[in-house]
Amino acid sequence: MLCKQLQLIGQWVLCRLAGLGGALFMLLQSLLVLPGRQGLQRLLQQLYVVGVQSLIIMLVSAAFIGMVLALQGYTLLVDYGSEQAVGQMVALTLVRELAPVVAALLFAGRAGSALTAELGLMKATEQLASLEMFGVDPLHRIVAPRFIAGVLALPILVIIFNLVGVYGGHLVAVEWLGVHSGAYWGNMQAAVSFIDDIVNGLIKAVVFAILVTWTALYQGYHCIPTSQGISAATTRTVVYSSLLILGFDFILTALMFGGL
Amino acid sequence: MSKTNVVEVSNLHFARGTRSIFSGLNIGIKRGCVTAVMGPSGCGKTTLLRLIGGQLIPQQGQVKVFDQVLHSLNREQLTQLRARMGVLFQSGALFTDLNVFENVAFPLREHGSMTADELHDKVLLRLEAVGLRGARYLMPAELSGGMARRVALARAIAMEPELVLYDEPFAGQDPIALAVLQRLIRALNDSLQMTSVLISHDIVEACAIADEVILLGGAGVLAQGSPEALLKSTDPMVYQFMHGQADGAVPFHYPAPELITEMRTATARSHIQTSVMTDHQELK
Amino acid sequence: MAKKWLEVSVGGLVVVGVAALLALALQVSGSHLGSSASQYQVSALFDNAAGLSPRARVTLSGVTIGEVTAVSIDQQTLMAKVDMAIDSQVDYLSLDTSASILTAGLLGEKYIGLSIGADEETLNDGAIIEDTQSALVIEELVGQVLLNLGGG
Repeated sequence: MLCKQLQLIGQWVLCRLAGLGGALFMLLQSLLVLPGRQGLQRLLQQLYVVGVQSLIIMLVSAAFIGMVLALQGYTLLVDYGSEQAVGQMVALTLVRELAPVVAALLFAGRAGSALTAELGLMKATEQLASLEMFGVDPLHRIVAPRFIAGVLALPILVIIFNLVGVYGGHLVAVEWLGVHSGAYWGNMQAAVSFIDDIVNGLIKAVVFAILVTWTALYQGYHCIPTSQGISAATTRTVVYSSLLILGFDFILTALMFGGL
Repeated sequence: MSKTNVVEVSNLHFARGTRSIFSGLNIGIKRGCVTAVMGPSGCGKTTLLRLIGGQLIPQQGQVKVFDQVLHSLNREQLTQLRARMGVLFQSGALFTDLNVFENVAFPLREHGSMTADELHDKVLLRLEAVGLRGARYLMPAELSGGMARRVALARAIAMEPELVLYDEPFAGQDPIALAVLQRLIRALNDSLQMTSVLISHDIVEACAIADEVILLGGAGVLAQGSPEALLKSTDPMVYQFMHGQADGAVPFHYPAPELITEMRTATARSHIQTSVMTDHQELK
Repeated sequence: MAKKWLEVSVGGLVVVGVAALLALALQVSGSHLGSSASQYQVSALFDNAAGLSPRARVTLSGVTIGEVTAVSIDQQTLMAKVDMAIDSQVDYLSLDTSASILTAGLLGEKYIGLSIGADEETLNDGAIIEDTQSALVIEELVGQVLLNLGGG
């Protein structure tokens, strides 16, 4: 009985490992060939899809998150007479944690699911098979530009997210709650370090971008090419990427800020 | 090897998961002919097409195309071989982000090294052959099903392949589009000296243009011969398929116990009994 | 036309991204561009520099004129040595300028406040401020208050 249970666990682990290995292999294979001029054009196209088209949702979310942080921080800090520190609180929370994580979660929902569905549909309509028959490797032509675009786009979006969030906090803290503008910026500038906070936050963004884009493309490329299969793969993309983002966020935070 | 066979499948075994699709399949496709591969749904017609295209690897046996064993080729050789093959996929598989002209130009751009003017003329010639030269700036989403398939056909023959594989070309087409496709497949085969493999289960349409019919079923070849010969065949399986009968050697009913034994209400049972009785009376 | 819009918008995204990074560096983290050229170094020795960290503000009459670059132990006196970078426009700090460690708010961050003395000579690069007042350590303060209350 126990033996059988162990065997089942073993099978499950091996199956997962094989999947992971397959995904890693796919990633390497798709990136091995250097893109030419045409490749750049395709990269641009994908940057538009995953980057520019995700911009609005990022801007709106960032503004609201900055505003909420300022409001919450103010009500907490005002009891200790330290409401000037609200700028520092908003900036550090955003730059270190919330901007990379929230932007990556939104990115998984907005761009990741779209990538999976697009690839799944290409598979279902035999476009991938068709490319193969024309002697074109779909990993190079379809997967690689999307992967690179995703990895480039998310850090840019996180930078913009940071700035918009900080100004959203400024709007609430300074314009509405009456914190002194100089204190808002001054405390922030004293507390935020470019290398330790902003750059570390961006490293997180790059890691999350790899995780989300990779998951999305793998799920799309290997989905069952039916409408049910595609919708299941899209759901898996969002669920797996969200879990990966949160899990890796803890690990990265421990490495960067946990004093390990 | 055989001079006349373009495709030779010998002792092919292929299984998806635990379900065996082919076990010991042998097929030869003659040069210059239109060969229709037919069979009931799920008998592995599309799988066979993927095997001939080299997109699937057989578990046992081999597939030879142009006297080359597919699974022994490296990537580059396979690409070269595929350049001599055209495939018309079931869904057309047009690239949705390219317009009609670019779709047809795609294989030419990938393989050929022709100037822009040569390419332009060649694409227009191919589109003219399928009657869609005027639709070259449309996007695939703007085409009807029949037009999309004709564009896909133009793309499949863009490289002047020696072998064209058609996956269910007649499925879901209206009578006019169907007649157009039939005419095109036959005409292209004869005018470009191609060999055509037609995967289909539309018996009448396929038989009308095929020189040779291969009937698949039960993991192997059920029958092979000219359409006339197969239509006259007295083999119950062949007869049922070729004449499209609902019941016969392949039963209409999925295996189950007698219906009356599974009914729970008395009214249903009596209803079945009376209907069975009237059936018998009518037969008499 | 569609292609042009695509290129323009992607280019726009990248430019906005770079601009935002620059803004983050300058406005949020308070980094200075080419700071070394327009600043000079001054040090001060404190009995206690508790809570003071690099990049803390240095102010004169409440106006930020520089930042702390390092906090270390002076090997000879075993006091806390605080290095500061002061904007070179501020070239009127007298030789007897005093420095004190102040706190923004009750629990806010520590910063250095300078006040100018009467001397005619001014501090140069590498000068040491001798008149200093150490950080207000709140535990000590509370302890003293309790002691006084007990005594009274």
